[in-house]
Amino acid sequence: MLKVSNLEVVYHQVVLVLKGVTLHVPRGETVALLGPNGAGKTTTLRAITGLLDIHDGRITKGHVRFDGREVAEQKADSIVGGGLAQVMEGRRVLVELSVEENLLAGAWAVSRREAAEGLERAYERFGILADRRRQQAGYLSGGEQQMLAIARALMSRPRLLLLDEPSLGLAPRIVGEVADLIRSLADDGLSILLVEQNAAMALSVASRASILENGRVVHEGTAEELADDEDVREFYLGLGGDGQTDYRRIKHYRRRRRWLS
Amino acid sequence: MSTWLQLTVSGLSLGTIYALIALGFVVIYRASAVFNFAHGELLAFGAFAMISLCGAGLPWGVALAAALVATGLLAAAVERLVLRPMIGRPVFVTIIVTIFVGSVLRSVIFIAWGPQTRGMPTPWDPLTTVDVAGASLLMNSVAALGAGAAALAAFFLLVRRTKLGVAMRATASDQETALALGIPVGRVFAATWFLAGLFAALAGIFLGMFPRNVDTNLGFVALRAFPAVIVGGLDSAWGTVLAGVLLGVLEVLCQGYVNPYLGEFGRNFHAVFPYVVMILFLIVKPHGLFGTREVERV
Ligand SMILES: Nc1ncnc2c1ncn2[C@@H]1O[C@H](COP(=O)(O)OP(=O)(O)OP(=O)(O)O)[C@@H](O)[C@H]1O
Ligand SMILES: [Mg+2]
Repeated sequence: MLKVSNLEVVYHQVVLVLKGVTLHVPRGETVALLGPNGAGKTTTLRAITGLLDIHDGRITKGHVRFDGREVAEQKADSIVGGGLAQVMEGRRVLVELSVEENLLAGAWAVSRREAAEGLERAYERFGILADRRRQQAGYLSGGEQQMLAIARALMSRPRLLLLDEPSLGLAPRIVGEVADLIRSLADDGLSILLVEQNAAMALSVASRASILENGRVVHEGTAEELADDEDVREFYLGLGGDGQTDYRRIKHYRRRRRWLS
Repeated sequence: MSTWLQLTVSGLSLGTIYALIALGFVVIYRASAVFNFAHGELLAFGAFAMISLCGAGLPWGVALAAALVATGLLAAAVERLVLRPMIGRPVFVTIIVTIFVGSVLRSVIFIAWGPQTRGMPTPWDPLTTVDVAGASLLMNSVAALGAGAAALAAFFLLVRRTKLGVAMRATASDQETALALGIPVGRVFAATWFLAGLFAALAGIFLGMFPRNVDTNLGFVALRAFPAVIVGGLDSAWGTVLAGVLLGVLEVLCQGYVNPYLGEFGRNFHAVFPYVVMILFLIVKPHGLFGTREVERV
């Protein structure tokens, strides 16, 4: 469904951030993209969705194919129109608009009738949004805002959904709810590319995962393989051999990895 | 009583015109973070276009519609051709660019229509009055009030009730999010500038009907709507409209009731009065009536 091959991205014509990223999201599957801060996860999503422009970034090499069509040179609105939606990092709820207007803002690509149906579906799935439909979105809690951001992305009836760190800044219980939601979206047949730093959560919902470090994919495999991998257990799941967290070693490891690459 | 009513109505119509001008400034600023110093020239262009179209024999209503659309298109073209390539540049760059565009437009208007003062055609005799509650009100000013209020109401319906309105507000509040949601932000800019141009033309045409003269300096009237922008709060459409109407009323009441007591000094006191209010606001409430705190640029 989504094939990213050998992608290179440069910001401001000088900063090379992605150094040949290859990713594959098969139809109907959830794929996780993990990696530390600054690895280039968000940049990868921007490249897929036509948002590099406003960051003065450019694809200098490689391809992004969505259903076999090259989208690397397309504009953001036609990419969304083609069935690819995303939830940006930090939720980006439109705080002055009401909950319902936020949802409608996600419905540009579809007809008025489909937008109305979309609202109905959203309210059915997210009861809390139905209760608050007239309220300003800025007054929702962090978890509710995340739900709104996801519901809003669904309004364009996407076939592939990109999620950028949906668990960021949420309490563990809410992270669990987000994970459940992602599973249920996948059950409905949606293909998902999930960017996360919370590897435990991501590996619990994804079938496959890639690990991005410093603009390169350094690891790729099924979720089980990665969850069992020594390095991943130690440095992404924070589990030492004996199941204990060792933050000092994580830091040390990251520093060393930066050095080496 | 009747003087009071007369002054209030003519204040309201002047205020509606200020509101139309100020609203144009504000929607452009909110959508594209551009402070459009060419706004007054758009207004003058609309007025001259109306005069020429009527002169060419078009029926008044048709000429009005054509002048409004032409000015809207001109504004959209300015955005597309001059300001779009400037996206991402510092605010002062876009300010300088709009000042430049304004002076080019002013020269073009001067070349096309010359220096002489002209009257704005009206479908009724310009001195027609209507009697309301014992006061005889100038038809021109009642018409300005009616048309302006209708335009403002239509704008708020558009913004609140339509898909384009939601897209405009989404773009104004977070451009990247709007893009990510699939909103064609470029087309939203074009629509915003088109509307702002249309409102400017409407204001210009009715301003031309009031004192009944139009010359190349008409554009400077936009500066007189500036206090409304500040008092309303640079990023609040509602606030701006309210402030525009209020300042128009205050200006005319001031002209009627305060000026006579100020002797020679008072001859034009009403014209500075809105600026006095604006300066008071800048001191006491710099974000305006409804503006948000982040906006402190101008
Ligand atoms: N607009 C930009 N201009 C220049 N450099 C940028 C820009 N955006 C990101 N970068 C740089 O690109 C690199 C990758 O950033 P990116 O945001 O893609 O990382 P990330 O993996 O999403 O990190 P995080 O987990 O913190 O969100 C970082 O070094 C960052 O500083
Ligand atoms: Mg990121």
